[in-house]
Amino acid sequence: MTAMTVTTTTTEAPAVATRKLSYVKAFNEGLAQAMREDENVFVAGEDVAGYGGVFRMFDNLLDEFGPRRMIDTPISEAALVGLGVGAAARGLRPVVDLMFMDFIGVCLDQIVNQAAKMKYMFGGALSVPLTITTASGAGLGAAAQHSQSLEAWLAHVPGLKVVMPSDAYTAKGLTVAAIRDDNPVVVMLNKVLLGSTGEVPEEIYGIPLGQAHTARQGSDVTVIALGRMVGEALAAADELAAEGVEIEVIDPRTVQPLDTETMFASVRRTNRVLVVHEAVTFGGLGAEIAAQIQDVVFDYLDAPVLRIGAPFSPVPFSPVLEKAYVPDRARIAQGCRRLLERS
Amino acid sequence: MAQRASTASKKSPQAGSQAGPQISPLVIKDLHERMVRIRLFETEAGKLMEAGKLPGFLHLYVGQEAVAAGVMAALRDDDQITSTHRGHGHAVAKGVGFREMYAELYGRVTGACLGRGGSMHINDLTRGMLGANGIVGAGVPIAVGAAFAARYKGEDNVAVTFFGDGATNIGAWHEGANMAAILGLPVIFVCENNGYAEFTPQSAHMLITDVADRAAAYGMPSVIVDGMDAVAVHRAAAEAVERARSGAGPMMIEAKTYRFFDHQGVKGLRHPYRSDEEVAEWKTRDPIDLIEARAVADGTATRTELDDVWQRTRDEIAAAIAYAEASPLPDPADLLLNVYSG
Amino acid sequence: MTDVAVEVLLPKIGLTMQEGTIDEWLVSTGAAVAEGDALLRLATDKVDVDVEAEAGGLFHPVVPAGVTLPAGALIGWLLAEGEQPPDPGGTPMPAGSGSSAATAAEPAPTGGAAGATAVPDLGGGAGTGVLPALTGTGEGLGAAAVPSAVGAGCRLLASPNARRVAAAADIDVTAVRGTGRGGRIVSEDVEEFLAALPDIPIALAPPGGTPTSPLVRKLAKERDIDLSAVNGTGPGGRIRRSDLDAVTPAPVRRNAAAPQPGDVIPLTGMRGTIARRMHASLQEMAQLTHGYEVRMDAVVSLRDRLKEEWADSTLAVPSLGDFLLKAAALALREHPLLNATVREDGIHLLDGIHLGFAVAVPGGLMVPVIEDAVTLSLPEIARRSKALAQAAREGRISPAQLEGATFTVTSLGGYGVDFFTPVINPGNVAILGVGRLRDGVEWVDDRPLRTRVLTLSLTFDHRAVDGAPAAEYLRTVGELLSKPLRLLV
Repeated sequence: MTAMTVTTTTTEAPAVATRKLSYVKAFNEGLAQAMREDENVFVAGEDVAGYGGVFRMFDNLLDEFGPRRMIDTPISEAALVGLGVGAAARGLRPVVDLMFMDFIGVCLDQIVNQAAKMKYMFGGALSVPLTITTASGAGLGAAAQHSQSLEAWLAHVPGLKVVMPSDAYTAKGLTVAAIRDDNPVVVMLNKVLLGSTGEVPEEIYGIPLGQAHTARQGSDVTVIALGRMVGEALAAADELAAEGVEIEVIDPRTVQPLDTETMFASVRRTNRVLVVHEAVTFGGLGAEIAAQIQDVVFDYLDAPVLRIGAPFSPVPFSPVLEKAYVPDRARIAQGCRRLLERS
Repeated sequence: MAQRASTASKKSPQAGSQAGPQISPLVIKDLHERMVRIRLFETEAGKLMEAGKLPGFLHLYVGQEAVAAGVMAALRDDDQITSTHRGHGHAVAKGVGFREMYAELYGRVTGACLGRGGSMHINDLTRGMLGANGIVGAGVPIAVGAAFAARYKGEDNVAVTFFGDGATNIGAWHEGANMAAILGLPVIFVCENNGYAEFTPQSAHMLITDVADRAAAYGMPSVIVDGMDAVAVHRAAAEAVERARSGAGPMMIEAKTYRFFDHQGVKGLRHPYRSDEEVAEWKTRDPIDLIEARAVADGTATRTELDDVWQRTRDEIAAAIAYAEASPLPDPADLLLNVYSG
Repeated sequence: MTDVAVEVLLPKIGLTMQEGTIDEWLVSTGAAVAEGDALLRLATDKVDVDVEAEAGGLFHPVVPAGVTLPAGALIGWLLAEGEQPPDPGGTPMPAGSGSSAATAAEPAPTGGAAGATAVPDLGGGAGTGVLPALTGTGEGLGAAAVPSAVGAGCRLLASPNARRVAAAADIDVTAVRGTGRGGRIVSEDVEEFLAALPDIPIALAPPGGTPTSPLVRKLAKERDIDLSAVNGTGPGGRIRRSDLDAVTPAPVRRNAAAPQPGDVIPLTGMRGTIARRMHASLQEMAQLTHGYEVRMDAVVSLRDRLKEEWADSTLAVPSLGDFLLKAAALALREHPLLNATVREDGIHLLDGIHLGFAVAVPGGLMVPVIEDAVTLSLPEIARRSKALAQAAREGRISPAQLEGATFTVTSLGGYGVDFFTPVINPGNVAILGVGRLRDGVEWVDDRPLRTRVLTLSLTFDHRAVDGAPAAEYLRTVGELLSKPLRLLV
């Protein structure tokens, strides 16, 4: 098997100084820089100003930007997102924070029926440059109402964009790009990754939305991994490399719009593909990706597209159950071996 | 006439046609013309629908004209409104053109939404019309956001959100009311209480008689006005707008009014959820009849002048319908137009 | 014209034919044919023949070209004007090949256009999906337990990519042995199969820019078609067989590049190399040749049994040549004297057993090398020998792949030669010639018993090897061939 191992996290980074920064600080820095860049950017949400966000996502922003641009709101997600929609329709660039992604259930109308459709139904008369930030994912023992990855719900809605930062570099770059984008964008930060560190450029940069990133090149299996699963896939790739198997890891970064061309090109070379995400397998992005792959590059497949996701159950609380629930590097490696199995 | 202040309100302005400062004849004529424009737009739309010319739903505003006219006459073009599924009246009163409205009802590419929205999504940003809305109560938080944007940008425009009695049972309404109040935003909450949530009478969907009582829960003053009296509505709206523009925060107006047509379309075909007697009684207080009688009585306008308004409007509407019917249909090749920006 | 549907069955050519491959339909679907018109070209393990229609009618094939079927299989219909092919459900297509083939419960696809690359559904009813195990299992039969690409539902399991690669190469994917999960044929299987296409001693076009399959190149050469002048209609401009027909219809087969009287063939290049090396070999060494008849019954019956047992599968059956290569290598381990080289200071016995094998190529022959052949399983030897042969014929072989042989095997059996005197490759001390597989006679008491035999021709360098050790080597080879199960591993 051809050995071509390039692990990168900063390939698009401009040639400037980088330093190690945590995922949450990278997000915070990108947000602060975007606020400095554009006076129309403000942040509204529960405990975002005075407290700095329950995950310290908004630390120190009140000090710099003051209460005019850092707004603590009541626990009213529908009104919060609606405030963002109305303000965006009137030319501002709101960043509204939903704290936990699970809470979108109480404001889906404003996201799905209002923010996403406004431009379309208004005949293009306006744009809704709204950014919704939220923390997703299991792994912290937060149980079923505070641990979900619901990207498939949102990616299903025309008019929305959805990004899933997989490391510190993307946490900053995708957040900046989301704020600069003229559409409603949901930024799905991952709770487990908040403290993880990576090289992050000091200056402001946006990562193009809708462009997948090949996090590792390989010739044997394409692994398409969302959010936190990118790191797990890279770890699985290291493990498999020791067995002489070269895994290509694709990080879509944006799940809506989805860069399928990068996936198709990879599958044409590897002929085997695995999609992994934290969300439940049924009806997840893996189903969409698998469908598109069979539609376009069916004739290049040597094995059925394999999906790895969570079982069809709420996220369990007890750590032993939660560990069994969330896909990990071992399951990814096992899936790759299964795809490559020959007698 | 139901006029009273909400007892729990911080401020309880009295508003009515017989009280307060003198209303200028120009305002009377303005209110009349706005109402006539709504009435004729809606009755013609109803005919077109019954003739099978219009696709989709049609929630007609006939009977409630005094509310839209009274409020809109108190607003500037840069003041923002969010409307409801029964939004034609608001759009017409805010100054949206007949041509793009009819064209939209016809699903033509020349429509207000390029044929993408239909009756429930007519908007005109140049007139501060932030859109009708197909989701009950959804416009409330959006108006809060529009008001937030005005204050953020240092502008003095206000936002008005229209809703029915039924919408005050939905969470977004309460969240929006509280949010506007706590942030002190220039939002005017206008409840058009026509007594029915679709086909359900108010007594069957809430235990209180006056929706305005709900404002108190958010520390918001409120006023109840005769929703068939455009002048009364206008006086209340003018005060609320002035108050909001001055930075004193949101306020609620409950206008008791009535829907002459059915929830959808002109005439209900099924469940007789209200009696003919009730409809007939409300029609004796037709808001246009009321203002015309008043105008003629106090010498503000002659009958001929009023008739001219009707005729002029009829002509304009005939031309607008002809325009809509002659307009091209959207090209299916452009199906994905405006799903995203950029 | 017929007035009732006439079945077209795969004919049995000769006594031993068990299966044949429809190389090509010679008439298109729905075409009117007269009795005696050529319907198809049939490839068997012995010959390629044109099969004629036994009646007239409108021809409707029921299987695509490229499939391999047992003799007697229904392959098409001759119909009257306006007549429909009979309900395929009522006339099931025999599944797979071999006498143990199950009766199909599912209808076979009908009306497949000639040349279609679709793979037929090798239909079969419940209970037929389990492959019969090899009876009398002996040592080294592990390979036979490999799952077949025909799954429990008797549907051919081939990945889309395998089908694509097979179609692009113009081969029948059902001929490939599946090694993927659950026995699925995957693209690697096809690539390995392609690399191991059987020897066809016919000149091929040199590798060039025009994308074609090996088969198309072969046909083009046969028909004297310049591929660069052919308009390819396949994916990516690939030239299909039908594109060749557009240029030169109704090909008449003949050997390509046959030298004509009056030609002068220069002793340069490969021709010159062969001339120099063979002459040097005979000048330098003391060469003599033993003839030795070996019984091939066991190999033939094992191979027949494998063919039968694996009929419903896509497992590739090793050729006789593969058995010979394996036996030659194993015997060398017991007789290291024949795996040697003579230098000035003496006879050097060599560490590795690297088998060279002669391949006829345009204008001469080449001897690609299978390194460490003694350590390789029979399937692996088969795979490598075929890959190397293919590479040699296509001019893709690298010099490194032609170097380092410690012993050589060469065969003229395909040309009907029984005994010959092969010339030792310089640097070796022996070369094993393989003759024609033929019938022999063994007397059991007074009764003659037909046997299968061939003659081995071992040329050895008497400077290094004496006559007796050479004979012992041959005897070992013969013993291995008489008990061939151990060759399988």
